[in-house]
Amino acid sequence: MIRFEGVTKAFGGRKILDDFSFEVGKGEILFLLGKSGMGKSVTLKHIVGLLKPDWGRVFVDDIEVSCLDEARLGPVRRKCGMVFQHPALLDSLTVRENVAFGLRAPEWTEARALERVRETLGLVHLGPELLDRLPAELSYGMQKRVSLARTLAPGPDTLLFDEPTTGLDPITTTAVNALIHDLSRNLHVTSLVVSHDMESALKLADRILVLDQGRILALGTPQDIERSPEPLVQDFLSEALERRRTR
Amino acid sequence: MNRAIGVMTEDLGGLALFVKDVFLTALRTRSNARPLVAQVALVSFRSLPTVAFAGLFVGAILVLQFNLILSRYDAQIFLGGLNTSAVIREVGPLIISFLLAGKVGAYTAAELGTMRVTEQVDAIRCLGTDPLQYLVLPRFLAIILSSLLLLTLSLMIGIAGSVVVAQLLCGINPLQYVTAIPRFLNPAIFAAALLKCGLYGFIVAAVSCHQGYTARNGARGVGQAVTRAAIYTNLYIIFAQFIASPTLNWMLGAAQ
Repeated sequence: MIRFEGVTKAFGGRKILDDFSFEVGKGEILFLLGKSGMGKSVTLKHIVGLLKPDWGRVFVDDIEVSCLDEARLGPVRRKCGMVFQHPALLDSLTVRENVAFGLRAPEWTEARALERVRETLGLVHLGPELLDRLPAELSYGMQKRVSLARTLAPGPDTLLFDEPTTGLDPITTTAVNALIHDLSRNLHVTSLVVSHDMESALKLADRILVLDQGRILALGTPQDIERSPEPLVQDFLSEALERRRTR
Repeated sequence: MNRAIGVMTEDLGGLALFVKDVFLTALRTRSNARPLVAQVALVSFRSLPTVAFAGLFVGAILVLQFNLILSRYDAQIFLGGLNTSAVIREVGPLIISFLLAGKVGAYTAAELGTMRVTEQVDAIRCLGTDPLQYLVLPRFLAIILSSLLLLTLSLMIGIAGSVVVAQLLCGINPLQYVTAIPRFLNPAIFAAALLKCGLYGFIVAAVSCHQGYTARNGARGVGQAVTRAAIYTNLYIIFAQFIASPTLNWMLGAAQ
């Protein structure tokens, strides 16, 4: 469970989040939508303690992460896996080493870690022939999938996706969306998905939150959002409709 | 002007805090020689040709200059001692460390900066690893150790090159050249030179790692970090030379 209570965050005097409060329940899929620079990625970074709020509090499973120092954030970060906007793979490590990066605790023997690496690569539709390749030898889409596998490998309870399907082909996009859906329904993994893709949001989300100027413009089920009179929400909806029509 | 001083002062404060964090990280890190040895090998091999080339010519240029002056007074007997003293005490460490700042320092700032702006550093933190421990510490220590190795090696090449140039271009017998060296140098001077090499290596490591690790704003930010790393490293080395030379001479009794 994730909870934001009156979070305010500013960069250079500009408020990115302004008295922002919301909650995500266990196993729920929440899509965060909004224009660029409206605080969607900043929201995710607060959950794993990469950013601290100027004001307000952030909770993960009733632990206040906004007051934890770097050393005490470890357990929270093990619970919450984050898929970054960039693939963010370590250039000097192979695919195997990248995916196994979060499996360095003593309970992960080498054989068990390798098995887990193969398993998670399979979940993102990548074969074991890529294990010894370097990130530079992979396409951007493959790198994003390896990055997703790396986040899934330790088995987090909560997944934070920062534009997970940007730069992916339609088939892989569908596979990633199906993966988010299955993880939530079968393993009760909580998912927060930052996206510009209203179409995926309407299909997958339990709830959708639309952010504008650091505040909640709309929050509700896909059906609630489709009925929203807000012009920005309508823009997103008509863009999604247009995309569906052109296919 | 005021703004430039403000930025530099702020940067110096940030550098001090960064060095403190790296030091505390080093204290709580269990020694793991493998990544350190790998980094030392990488940095040393990458810079060896440049540093050797520079060392050779620094010694050669000084020999020609000193010979020009000493020959006027028929005092070429002192050429070996005077030249070696100048190379070891001041010129060698300074010029070679400038080259290391440009090569190793710029590379490190660019590498860490790219990792920062492509969220690799954040990804490492999210996977439960301390990026200072995993990325910065091995590079930091490797630059200091490599600087010591490379500077020492380049000074030796510089001295050897001077002997050859003195014989070929100035007609000085190598034996006469070498026997003059102890008249100008003692072990304390070598120790002071080594300390300076370590100090300059520390400056290259600290500034380049700090600038790279704190880079922001995409490719432009990485470019700025690399530029700042090169400029600040050279400025701090000059200042360190100004302070370290008289201090070390006084401390080690190496003034004579």
